[in-house]
Amino acid sequence: MRTWRDVARYHLVMPWLVVGMPWAITAFSFVVNLIIFDLVPPGHHGVLTSQGVVQVASASHNYTGAVCIVYIFFIALGVSSIGRSLPFGLALGVSRRSFYAGTALLGGALALADGLALTALQAIEQATDGWGVRMHFFRVPYILDGPWYLTWLTSFVGLALLFIYGMWFGIVYRRWNLTGSAAFIAAQVCVVVAAVLIVAWSDAWSGVGHFFSGLTAAGLTGLLAGLAVLLLAGGQATIRRATV
Amino acid sequence: MTPVISVTGLTRRYRDHVALDQVSLEVEAGSIVGLLGRNGAGKTTLLRILAGQEFPSAGDVLVHGAPPAENEAVLRRMVFVREDQTYPDFKVRHALRVASWFYPNWNAELADALLADFGLPAGRAIKKLSRGMRSALGIVIGLAARADVTLFDEPYAGLDAVARQIFYDRLLADYAEHPRTILLSTHLIDEAAGLLERVIVIDRGRIVLTADADDLRGVATAVSGPVLAVDEFTAGRVVWDRRRVASRVSVVVVGGLDEADRLLARSLQLDLTPLTLQQLVVQAAAQPADTLERTSA
Repeated sequence: MRTWRDVARYHLVMPWLVVGMPWAITAFSFVVNLIIFDLVPPGHHGVLTSQGVVQVASASHNYTGAVCIVYIFFIALGVSSIGRSLPFGLALGVSRRSFYAGTALLGGALALADGLALTALQAIEQATDGWGVRMHFFRVPYILDGPWYLTWLTSFVGLALLFIYGMWFGIVYRRWNLTGSAAFIAAQVCVVVAAVLIVAWSDAWSGVGHFFSGLTAAGLTGLLAGLAVLLLAGGQATIRRATV
Repeated sequence: MTPVISVTGLTRRYRDHVALDQVSLEVEAGSIVGLLGRNGAGKTTLLRILAGQEFPSAGDVLVHGAPPAENEAVLRRMVFVREDQTYPDFKVRHALRVASWFYPNWNAELADALLADFGLPAGRAIKKLSRGMRSALGIVIGLAARADVTLFDEPYAGLDAVARQIFYDRLLADYAEHPRTILLSTHLIDEAAGLLERVIVIDRGRIVLTADADDLRGVATAVSGPVLAVDEFTAGRVVWDRRRVASRVSVVVVGGLDEADRLLARSLQLDLTPLTLQQLVVQAAAQPADTLERTSA
C-alpha cells in the first residue's frame, strides 16, 4: 500500500501536467466558447410557419458540449502515465503490480477531484444563468443534466474510464509498439462489429432500442462503471509481462 | 556464506537469437563484481533479468533467496542503473526526489555531494542533458540509493575520464563505509580493474570465465622473442594466440610463472609482459569455455 501511494506521488512530482493541464485546456476552450456565444445572440432559431421562416427567440439553451475536452485529455494522461513513467518506476524497484495499482489509484483520485470541480462549475453556470450569455458549457443534455451528485458521479466514472482506457493503451504500446496498438484498435472495432452482427442476426434491434431509450443517465453511468472495471482487468493482465 | 545472487541454467531466447545460454553464476554478498564482455554478449539482458525487468525463457534466478520478478521484497532492496534509462519529463531534482521515496537507505547528502562532483544542474530537464550528464544522473541514483544489490549497466557511457575517476573514487569510498553487493558491467576493463574483486566474463550468452580478480593477475603472460627461443620456453605449456612477425614470435602463456621460469626466459632473452585484465578478457573470450578455469585452478 505504501508503494501504491509512492507511485501516485511519483506521477505528481511535476503536478503541472497532471493537475494543471486539464484545466488550462478547459479554460482555453471555455474562453473561446464564451467569445463565440457572446457574439451569437442566444437561442434564435428559424421556425417554418405559414408566413415563411420566422426567427423566434427562445428562452435559453446554448449547449456547447465542449467540456468533453477534459475527458479526452484523460485518455492522454492515462497513456503517458504508463508509457513515459513505467521504465524509471521499474528501475527503482517497483513491481508492475504496484505500479499499475498506484497509477490507477491516482487516476481515480484525479477523476474524483476533477469531477467535483466540474460539478461546482456546473452549479456556478446554473447560478449565473450561463455565464451571462446563456451558454451551457458544463451542462450536457441527458448525460450531465441531473442533480449535482449525479453529475459528480457520472463525471467521476467517465474520467476514470477514459484514464483506465489510456493506461491499457499505453501498456499495449509499451509491449507491442505501433503494430500492437493498431491490432488493439482493430480488436476493439471487431468487438463492436460482432455485437452489431449478433443483434442484427437475432433481430434484436427493437429490444436494444427499448433498452437504451429506457436507460436513465444513472443507468448509463452504471454501465460505464462496469466497462471501466473490465478495462482495468484487461490492463492488469497486459502489464504482467511487460518489459522495459 | 550464502550467495546474494544465484543463477542456474538461465536461458533467454529471442525470436532469432539466444541472448543467454545456460548461464549459471553466484555472487557473494558484499563484493564488487565486474560483468565483462563485448557488445551484445548478454550483459544487459542478464542484469535486466536480475532486476525483474525482463523474464527468463528457462532457468532459475534467485536474489536474496527468492525470484526477483514482481517480488517487491527483493526488488526494493535493489537498484538498477542502465545506460539507456528512459525518464519521464523530469528535471534532475525530480528524478532524485522520486528515487528517494523508494529507497529506505537513500542518502540525500551523498546525492547532493555527487551532483556537485559531477557538476550536474539539479534544475535542468533530463532530456536536455548530454549523454555523459545523463549517465552521471544514473550514477548519483545508484550510489545514493545504497541498495543491498546495486546493478550498474555501462554506467559511464559518455562520461569523460575525470568524471569516471570520480565515479570509481566515490564508489569505493561509499562501499567501504556501506558494504553491499555491486555488479558492474563495463567495457573499460583496465580502468575498472582496480575496483573489482571478482570478474565474470560473458561471451555470446555464455559465461566463459569467473574468477577472483587477484587470481587473474599474472595468470597469463605475453612472451615474445626469437621463434626458437619462444618454442623452447613454451614447450609443455598452454599457449594462446601465437603471432609471428618475421623471425620473432609473440605468444600468450597461460599459468603462473615461477622464479625458474623467469631465469630461463632471461637466459633465452625473451620479453615477459603480464597480461592486463582487459587483454586477458579479450583472450578468454576467444577461447573455448572453461580453458582458463582449468589452467588457473
